[in-house]
Amino acid sequence: MVSREDVLHIARLARLSLSEEEVERYQKHLGRVLEYVGELRALPQESDALVRHVPRDAVAFRGDSILPFSNTRGSLDNAPALESDGFLLPTVVEHE
Amino acid sequence: MTTFRKAGVQDLLEGYQRKEFKPSEVVSGTMAAITQLNPELNALLETRSEEVSARAKDLDARMGEASKLPLFGVPIAIKDNILVRGWKTTAGSKALQNYVSPYTGTCVERMEAAGAIVIGKANCDEFAMGSSNENSAYGPVKNPWDSTRVTGGSSGGSAAAVAAGLVPGALGTDTGGSIRQPASLCGVVGLKPTYGRVSRYGVIAFASSLDQVGPFGRSVWDTARLLEVISGYDAKDATSSRGVVPRYTEALALPSADSLRNINIGIAPEWMEGLDPEVKKSFDAAIETAKGLGAKIVEVKLPHAKYALSVYYLIAASEASSNLARYDGVHYGTRSKKWDSLEELYSRSRGETLGREVKLRIMLGTYALSAGYYDAFYGKANQVRRLIQRDFDEAFSKCHCVAAPTSPTTAFRLGEKMEDPLTMYLSDIFTLPVNLAGLPGLSVPSGVDSKKLPIGLQLIGRLFDESSLLQVAHAYEKARGPLSHPPWKGDR
Amino acid sequence: MSDIFDKYEPVIGLEVHAQLLTKSKMFCSCAHAFGAEINTQICPVCSGQPGSLPVINQEAVNLGVRAALALECEIHEESIFARKNYFYPDLPKGYQISQFERPFCTKGKVEAILKSGESKWIGVTRIHFEEDAGKSVHAQGGTMVNLNRAGVPLIEIVSEPDMRNSQEAGQYLRALHSILRFAQICDGNMEQGNFRCDANISVRPRGQEKFGTKIELKNINSFRFVEKAIDYEIARQIECIERGEKLVQETRSWNSAKNMTEVMRAKEQAHDYRYFPEPDLPTLVISSSWIEEIRSEMPELPSAKRQRFISQYALNAYDAGVLTGSKEVAGFYEEAVAKTGNSKATANWVANELLGRLNAAGKDIGDSPVSVDHLAELIAAVEGGKISGKIGKTVFEEMFETGKSPSAIIKEKGLVQISDPAALETAIKKVIAANPSQVADYKGGKDKLLAFFVGQVMKETKGQANPALLNTLVKKVLDSLP
Repeated sequence: MVSREDVLHIARLARLSLSEEEVERYQKHLGRVLEYVGELRALPQESDALVRHVPRDAVAFRGDSILPFSNTRGSLDNAPALESDGFLLPTVVEHE
Repeated sequence: MTTFRKAGVQDLLEGYQRKEFKPSEVVSGTMAAITQLNPELNALLETRSEEVSARAKDLDARMGEASKLPLFGVPIAIKDNILVRGWKTTAGSKALQNYVSPYTGTCVERMEAAGAIVIGKANCDEFAMGSSNENSAYGPVKNPWDSTRVTGGSSGGSAAAVAAGLVPGALGTDTGGSIRQPASLCGVVGLKPTYGRVSRYGVIAFASSLDQVGPFGRSVWDTARLLEVISGYDAKDATSSRGVVPRYTEALALPSADSLRNINIGIAPEWMEGLDPEVKKSFDAAIETAKGLGAKIVEVKLPHAKYALSVYYLIAASEASSNLARYDGVHYGTRSKKWDSLEELYSRSRGETLGREVKLRIMLGTYALSAGYYDAFYGKANQVRRLIQRDFDEAFSKCHCVAAPTSPTTAFRLGEKMEDPLTMYLSDIFTLPVNLAGLPGLSVPSGVDSKKLPIGLQLIGRLFDESSLLQVAHAYEKARGPLSHPPWKGDR
Repeated sequence: MSDIFDKYEPVIGLEVHAQLLTKSKMFCSCAHAFGAEINTQICPVCSGQPGSLPVINQEAVNLGVRAALALECEIHEESIFARKNYFYPDLPKGYQISQFERPFCTKGKVEAILKSGESKWIGVTRIHFEEDAGKSVHAQGGTMVNLNRAGVPLIEIVSEPDMRNSQEAGQYLRALHSILRFAQICDGNMEQGNFRCDANISVRPRGQEKFGTKIELKNINSFRFVEKAIDYEIARQIECIERGEKLVQETRSWNSAKNMTEVMRAKEQAHDYRYFPEPDLPTLVISSSWIEEIRSEMPELPSAKRQRFISQYALNAYDAGVLTGSKEVAGFYEEAVAKTGNSKATANWVANELLGRLNAAGKDIGDSPVSVDHLAELIAAVEGGKISGKIGKTVFEEMFETGKSPSAIIKEKGLVQISDPAALETAIKKVIAANPSQVADYKGGKDKLLAFFVGQVMKETKGQANPALLNTLVKKVLDSLP
């Protein structure tokens, strides 16, 4: 069972504003899905559970060389608000 | 004027080599077909006629390269979750309504280097989440076989564009069946390569450990050609394989490719219990055809495949909840106009622009990863994922590929499964395990049902053994004979 | 205060973020030069564009392994990157790529040399890789986000809660700083934020095993502030407990203008980071042959250098510690010794005079106005008796101010030591003539007055008299009087 509080807590963590109707719908749908996936709990504990989805011959590394991106302008032009090429936001108070 | 709608990749390449037509003629025909048919199908979102014409003209002047470039002058549709510099990439979402790609994804770069012409961006379920293409913020795609029905998803636009003859080939992405299921529902060939075969650089991530780019074509050969162009190591993707890419089309041209002697095909009867009778009938017939070609049929067991739906939804949603965090209207994308605090700017921008299914999956994934639930959900799902991988390892000790239906049903009606997420998710039960195990999978049409809707046969291969899948599908395709194609509506 | 520390025991652990000396960023090929124009060192990867993917900078791993070796850590052949999920404008992907459950190394240690000369080994829990965030700068109409710093390679070095006071924390931090600089892992520039420290501080009644309520102090950017902030925080926490208040777990910051810590974030706002393995990156595999290759290229580290200074130059532990405080200081000292041949005197001049003066002037040894050659020359002048030690200090002061050579200053000011017995005797006789009553008292048995005469002659010669010779001569002249 997923409570209304659960839905609101998760929505806040995920930064999703929800309408009242959505809260109700997600409470129902999330409950359904979580109930369904509960079937996994019955399966025995697996010791070697490390999934390696990456091919064995993949190359993890790149060399430490500088290669500037050719279209920084293109990236900046997608910004919803830009001020002197900085991404502009309402004043941020807290700090990470 | 011919629209070239019936011309496949191979037909175009041969025509160019014989100098029967030029890229700009093909492109004009393609654009005309799009103008005529796309308004109803809604398969393509953006088409940029000026850029496309310029590119075609450029290729006109390079006709001499027609025999060297493997996709010379071939119009291609690109699923709208793959970036092409200068083109909008919306991923079917309002959150990226005005996002203009600042760079080009590796798979598209390779296609363009091979002479292909990007003709349009293909509609898809929002962030590739869906099995019917009804989750696109830009409206559903209609199935060319019956416009009251869905195309499947999430690469529905790509599948429909190929099925309706708007383009001879297209790229899609497949995270849980998003290439194979719409290929099946639209009666075309679709291939999801082994994880790591095709670079994911420039492909909007849904579930990073499952996503893979793959081709659609109207024939196995066409699909193979697209695959050989886009495959191969990319230094920009640390999960891409260094393995050498076989020349898939060359293997198909060998005389031995028409026979399935020495090929063992596995089937897992338990997995297919409760199948739609018409789909079952088509599957059985396909297996008979394969036997007739010399294939040996062996029984295999995939005891954990039935858990794939649960495993998939937990893993994909968890990864998605993180992958989609960047759509917050800060550095790009749509920003809400109403906020009183930073937190509100985030939650409103996201809440107002992300669609219903996307939000549900973000919520599910956030829940599965949150403090106190990680082990029970994400952790457990990964354990079972491992068991599914082992089932396939075991199966492949007995066979070269596993055959199954691609989808448990043919194309369903628009709106039919929109109310309950689980009903919709069940469309993917035969495709999901393949992504979880990282394996290649292919869907090839195996006929039509009584409603004249196409049915797909799925072939699942060993890691990096796309060759076997293509070979089996190719031999089968020949033996099957031409499909009764969708009515080539509007064609002259 | 001593009473209160009989009653309470502070417990301190430090988390240090050190920027790695690579050319490019952690997961992309952007440069990360300090002070570049806003948003000019960005690409699809570090600006979090859709579809972009990270690829690990191999040099960052090299430097991380070097740090692990320098801090005597256990290096794990397999480690994994993880995503730390939170929303913040300087974090364009909505997550930071870091390492969580399986960092690349654990269980190291750092030797902190305390002011008493004793050393204390502080445990290092783990070191892990991560990428830096961007920077928010205040501007008209709000905040501007600059992503030039986003994706810069960092290692986070987490200590055990082994420190018990601000001095231990300060000395641990200095030792760590010096190791990272010696091994060329990090440039240690604290003003640019390339070496940053967070401190976890709690206080518990002595004898209690359980830790008290932990306060996290964020982003303190100098050694001195770390010590001050810790002292402040310990005192604040003890006062709180003494008043019977309950401490709350929170994050605080050091306000250097007000000399106090302030609340940044209460625990209610604490994050649920939803860590999970980064699916875009393979397992990080660090083979033993790779480790050995890096080990073979390791420069001499501070502790080894300190040991060598003690044995090779016969220095005490404290001086050796000071002289190996940085690679540059150690180099300066060794060059000077090579010229003077006198390790102890040189140690004294470098450790006390030069470093003291540089410190007061807020300068690094690299900017020292006194060159190795000049200092060696000065030491030779003093040791050779050309000038007295006291004059030497005056000359040094002049050298520091003007950058001139000691011989030039000695000549210019006529500071050469008077060692000519005849010249000294003239001066002595003058003093005797001027002080008849003291002479009488001396003759009457007041031996202590000898010092008075020596002092007077020294005054007469403006301090230039050779002190040893002067002593002998004063006695000889006085004793020869009838």
